[in-house]
Amino acid sequence: MSMINREVAWRVFAREFNDSTLEMEGTEERSPSYLVTPLGAKINRIYTVGVLTERENIGDPEEPMWRARVTDPTGTFFVSAGQYQPEVATTLGHMEPPLFVAVVGKSSTYQPDEDTFLTSIRAEMIKEVTEEQRDQWIIEAATSLKERLEVAIEASKMDEVSVEELVDLGFDENLAEGFKQANEHYDSLSFDKYERMLEDSLRYVLPEYETQSIEEIQEEKEGEDRRDEELESLVIDVISNLEEEEKLENGVEYERVKEKVMEEEDITEDEFEETVNNLRSDGKLYEPVLGNLKIIG
Amino acid sequence: MEENEELAPHIEDINRALNEKLSEEQIEEELRTYTDRYGVPLGSAKRSIVKKYEGDPQDLYVSTEKAIDDIGGDEQGLNLKCRIVSINEKEIEVDDEPKQIWYGILGDDTGTIPFTLWEAKPIELEKGDTVKIENAYANTWNDEPQVNIGSKASVKEIENDEVPQFERETQKLDLADIRENMQNLDVTARVTSIERKMVNTQDDEEKELFSGIMADETGKAQFSAWHDFGMEEGDVLRVKGGYVRSWRGIPQYSFDETAEVEFLDDEELPPAEELDEVSVYSISDLAKRGGAVDAIVDAVMIDIKSGSGLIFRCPECRRVVQKGACRVHGKVDGEADLRVKGILDDGTGALTVIINRELTEDILGYDLEEAMEKAKDEMNQSVIQDALEEKLIAQPLRVKGNITSDEYGLMLVADEVEYKTIDVEEEARKMLDEVRV
Ligand SMILES: [Zn+2]
Repeated sequence: MSMINREVAWRVFAREFNDSTLEMEGTEERSPSYLVTPLGAKINRIYTVGVLTERENIGDPEEPMWRARVTDPTGTFFVSAGQYQPEVATTLGHMEPPLFVAVVGKSSTYQPDEDTFLTSIRAEMIKEVTEEQRDQWIIEAATSLKERLEVAIEASKMDEVSVEELVDLGFDENLAEGFKQANEHYDSLSFDKYERMLEDSLRYVLPEYETQSIEEIQEEKEGEDRRDEELESLVIDVISNLEEEEKLENGVEYERVKEKVMEEEDITEDEFEETVNNLRSDGKLYEPVLGNLKIIG
Repeated sequence: MEENEELAPHIEDINRALNEKLSEEQIEEELRTYTDRYGVPLGSAKRSIVKKYEGDPQDLYVSTEKAIDDIGGDEQGLNLKCRIVSINEKEIEVDDEPKQIWYGILGDDTGTIPFTLWEAKPIELEKGDTVKIENAYANTWNDEPQVNIGSKASVKEIENDEVPQFERETQKLDLADIRENMQNLDVTARVTSIERKMVNTQDDEEKELFSGIMADETGKAQFSAWHDFGMEEGDVLRVKGGYVRSWRGIPQYSFDETAEVEFLDDEELPPAEELDEVSVYSISDLAKRGGAVDAIVDAVMIDIKSGSGLIFRCPECRRVVQKGACRVHGKVDGEADLRVKGILDDGTGALTVIINRELTEDILGYDLEEAMEKAKDEMNQSVIQDALEEKLIAQPLRVKGNITSDEYGLMLVADEVEYKTIDVEEEARKMLDEVRV
């Protein structure tokens, strides 16, 4: 008897999910595609619980397309919900971050260019949950990761990764196959990294290791927002002062702006670049000639 | 054993296959040694002799009754002399029409094999009958050979002594390992529940059936005893000579008066409460097994399907009424009910769970009447489903019940539902200790 088996919802930490660069199409007609993680989780559906830190409607009010960020102890999941998930989109639209949320969704990938492989979750369900539920999820995700690491350790003792031998050792066939596929795709896998990740996420739920409360996350986020605003107005001030003083028609050279801003504020080059990019995407700056920055309006 | 005139065509057959390498007398002597002295079935004996003298058994073509143990896989024109070890009726659907088929187990002195009879019973067949089957075919199902008796086949009842009496060696097995169609098992288990009922057999006879659940240290199974052995709840039994039937994936250990039932000391198995603990299954294991009785699943509810909460059922057929109409009975006055139809997922697999009215009332904290009041106040039936989503989604649960499977996957009908509390701190410390090693 052939059974339709619903795709299992994997509990995988954000870091492992986002490290994935292998997508496998189903072998049979209408069979689902999978994102294969470096440790061989073959993810079609995923279940995660974390902190909703941001959400943004990149569609319009009529046809919303929500993008959200959900963080776990290891990184950030990018979550989306649009017209095909109207209930999820509505729920997400009413959520005010930060919040603990549970998300069930399908793994989704996007490859804007050859070197970039972006992963995200197309949400099928989102729900506000408690911190306890988040901690329980961490245990589930850690248990799942631990098992994949055990597969990796056993497999590393073999000359050639053998699904059969792994199954004989008591591992699930799906897990063993996933690991073999991952092993063929990802080169020089660093298991240490995931071992550390496992330990860190387990410590995360222990009282002796301080973790951030939702209020602290909020404060930190507000602090970051404040600094972003300060830096943006500093860059605007620097440009407008120079424009005025030197009567510049075609804006100010990028390097001069950077030098001046870095003199006045303790800011890294990356931070400066990000600030300029934000101002440009917000329509406050433009480039009248190559390499020059000018204020709009 | 065989009469001379019966052996003659086979002797000729062997002679031809061996290009007259041996004399007919030599062949007959060989044949008698195999069949009479060593009890090898005729078919096997012929093949062995041809092989022994470097011939090709493929060149044999006077068909013999095949020994059951020799049935390998895909074979046409199969002839058997055997006994019906068990026979059951089943209704299947062919081109939307219900069709009666029979299935069970055939046996001879070499072994047993499952069979399916696809056409109306040619004669009144019963358990214990000795039959001659001609022109059946064999195929494999779940890696096991099985005999198919189709429209081209014939079945005749023959004298009981045409198949030697056989006593098969029983196979000792844990309950976790029993599978559909196994037979002649030797199982030791504790009866954890039992009830007596009267059932009607195919011949409209009333028969006493004792059914319930038995458990050992590896799992649980339903059982059906077609004889009063005086079993009671709590008894530790050793049952030799039973066979396994399966209902939608749930294996069921069946036995009758031919089985040997031995009552053992209570200490032979742990108490019932302890045996209960072993029935926690991962969903991937359940998918491999196909089902389980009285099983425990620890999983998270990740979806609640529409048609949950406050629903209305057709008074005739209990189907859920949609927009005031039953799919079969049209416009009806639906009867209110409460239920949950959801998806449980434990990270190894997913299954559909059905939670009945009583348990749903427990989860909601109010009863059906109050649920109807709430729905009326809100002018919306779906408020109850919303309330259930609030209480259940993303919630680790421990659910106990029977698990069946069909083409739509696994289904768990809940007998008990409880919130599962995980001691996060303890689990984290335990795992940290393990990874540090
Ligand atoms: Zn009806």
